[in-house]
Amino acid sequence: MQLTDTTTIPPQVMTRTVGNEMVILDLASGTYFGLDPVGARIWALMGEGRTLAEICDQMLEEYEVTREALEADALRLAGELEAQGLIRVRSDS
Amino acid sequence: MDRARRQAPVATPPFHTWVFPDGTLWTEFHRNDGGYLLRFPQLADFQVAADARTVTGVPVPEVSEGTTQHLYLNQILPLVLSKLGKLVFHASAVEIGAGAVAFVGESGRGKSTLAASFAVSGCRFLTDDGLVVEPSGEGFAALPSHPSIRLWDDSEAALIPPAARRAPPVHYTTKARFLADENLAFCETPRPLRRVYFLGDGGSTRLELHRLSPAETLLEWVKHSFLLDIEELPRLASHFDQVAALAKQPIHYRLDYPRRFEDLAAVRQVILAHAREEHDDRCN
Repeated sequence: MQLTDTTTIPPQVMTRTVGNEMVILDLASGTYFGLDPVGARIWALMGEGRTLAEICDQMLEEYEVTREALEADALRLAGELEAQGLIRVRSDS
Repeated sequence: MDRARRQAPVATPPFHTWVFPDGTLWTEFHRNDGGYLLRFPQLADFQVAADARTVTGVPVPEVSEGTTQHLYLNQILPLVLSKLGKLVFHASAVEIGAGAVAFVGESGRGKSTLAASFAVSGCRFLTDDGLVVEPSGEGFAALPSHPSIRLWDDSEAALIPPAARRAPPVHYTTKARFLADENLAFCETPRPLRRVYFLGDGGSTRLELHRLSPAETLLEWVKHSFLLDIEELPRLASHFDQVAALAKQPIHYRLDYPRRFEDLAAVRQVILAHAREEHDDRCN
C-alpha cells in the first residue's frame, strides 16, 4: 500500500451513518466494519477516486493533525479495508 | 405439506449453507425455477415460492409431521418473513409493563431460558426466537409468534413445572417445546419495544450491563438477522436501511452474566428495574 495508490469501492459495499459513526457492510460477503468520524471522512474521499496522498492533502485542510500521523492512519485504514475486501486498490507506481 | 419422499440430488451447489459449530451441515439454500429450495439433510425439503407467498414442505420418510412442522415454525417461517420485507431476528421477547424487552443472541446464549424464566414468573413471553420487529408510531413494536418455548433439559429442569404441556418430540433435537398455558404465560398482542439486550457469552464473573452505540447496535442486529437470500442485493440494502433506523433507538444494551440457574431471579430483577426506567437518552 502506497500513498500514490487509488482506491475504489465495490458496488456491493454499502454504508450507513448511525449516530456519529459509519457502518460499512459488504452485502456479498456479510463483512462489516465500523468507522469513527475521521475514518468516515477518509472513506468518503476514497469514494471520489483520489489517491491516498490527495486524500491526506484534503484532510490536512480539515483537521489539525501532522501529515506523518495522517498518512500513517490513512495507510493503515486502507490496508484494513482492503484486507476485508471493502475497497479495491489500484497502484499507479 | 406434500407426501414424504427421499431427497433427490440437487443439480447445482447451494448458494448458501448453515452449519453447526462442529461443521455439521444443517441447511442448504438452493435457487430453482425462480424460487428457493431449503434442504435439511435427512429431514425435509421446503420449496419456497419466489414471492415467498407459498411454502411446500416435503418430509423424508420416517420423519414425523411434528418434526416438519417444527422445522417450518422455527427455521422456514422466519426466513420467509424476511423475504417478505419483515425484520426478523434471532431474539426472544417478553412483556414488561406496557412494553416488550428483547434478548438477542446466537443459539446457546440463553435467550429462550430468559424468556421462560420471565414467563413462569408472571411476565408473558412473545417469542423464544424469530422475533419480528416493525415500525410503530415513533418507535418499533415486537410482535408475538408461536406460543411455545424450546428448552434444553437443564433449563427445563430448573424452570418448567412437571405438568407443563409439551409438543411431541422431534427428530433432530433433544430440546423440548413447551406450549403456552397458565404456567407459561403468552402475550398475543404486539408490544412497544422498550429495551434490547444483546447477550454476552456468559464469561463474565458478575452481571454486566452497558449501553451500546448506534453503530455497535447496527452491527449486532445485522449479525442476528434472518435473511433468506443473502445475494439479493436490493433486499439486503432495504434490510440494512430498516436495521439502521432501529439501531438509532436509544434502547440497546449489552448484557452478560454468569449462567447459573440459581441466579436467574436476580438477573430478572435487574432487567425489570432497568427496563422500567425512563428511556436512557444519554450518549456514550
